[in-house]
Amino acid sequence: MKLTVNGTSHVVDVEEDMPLLWVLRDELGITGPKYGCGIAQCGACTVHVDGIAVRSCQLAAGDVSGDITTIEGLGTPAVLHAVQEAWIDLQVAQCGYCQAGQIMQAASFLDLNPTPTDDQIDAAMSGNLCRCGSYPRIRAAVKSAATKLKGV
Amino acid sequence: MRTLLIGLLLATPAVAQDQASRAVGLAAWEDIFAVASHPRCTNCHVGDDGVPMWNELGYGADAAHGMYVHAGESRVGAETMPCRTCHISKISDNATPHAPPMIDDAWRLPPPELAWLGKSSEEVCAQLRNPDTNDGFAMDGLATHLETSAFVAWGFAPGAGRSAPPGTLDDMIAALDIWAAAGTPCADDP
Repeated sequence: MKLTVNGTSHVVDVEEDMPLLWVLRDELGITGPKYGCGIAQCGACTVHVDGIAVRSCQLAAGDVSGDITTIEGLGTPAVLHAVQEAWIDLQVAQCGYCQAGQIMQAASFLDLNPTPTDDQIDAAMSGNLCRCGSYPRIRAAVKSAATKLKGV
Repeated sequence: MRTLLIGLLLATPAVAQDQASRAVGLAAWEDIFAVASHPRCTNCHVGDDGVPMWNELGYGADAAHGMYVHAGESRVGAETMPCRTCHISKISDNATPHAPPMIDDAWRLPPPELAWLGKSSEEVCAQLRNPDTNDGFAMDGLATHLETSAFVAWGFAPGAGRSAPPGTLDDMIAALDIWAAAGTPCADDP
């Protein structure tokens, strides 16, 4: 099976029904996406497929149709994505476990809706749980990133 | 059964035939409404607010979809979180409780004019016979839609212990045929 992840093409020998998250973490060593619940209830595993946020824990590898982007491919240390910059500026993370998923969700959301209302930010981010309770900082960072992206 | 009913209708005088046809049609409608009013259908056949429901899933009465899901004007969540973030467009046996159902179609809400949630039998009856409020279908097209829709097929077999509407898809299509043949009567017709 061939998968393109962060611009690099990979051939992997896995079962069709292996969750994409397993392929990323165990086969390709890409460990930014995290395992939380396994049934799309928490968002820790969020990656992009052709720019759309998806829960990789319950997307079968054989069902992937498109290029995959993980947190490792969203920006670079030298050139961060606006959402990553905002996350650092506002020191969003506490323990950090959910944050890759949060950032991937936020980046895809702002790509689809560059001028969100506060309520739309809540609706976009409510599928990503944070047990540390960093939600107020997440909301502020998404707003900050939206402003930055508009300025580009 | 359908042949017998049509035979009976043909064998009776015109006025009695009309009454019999209407009664048969209304009885068939009640079978249709028993399905259309089931939460497996009304959880997505919601109004302008675009908030899907999680009724009959063990989350209590009048439970809205978790994760503060708002499908928006797009009806696919494009303004917030796309349905396909979790509802993968691939066929699945949907055997995992609480996991997002997956079908071989793009998960989405029906247009708001097709909202059935909280509506009476008479209101939904009037909606379903009107192409303006049934997604543009004539009755034969509606039957074909039921036969071919991945959403409808999933609704009758939602998997993982999820509740399903009464009867089968074949029962539903048979009832629709009878209701259509009777002139799509609604109980509050003059």
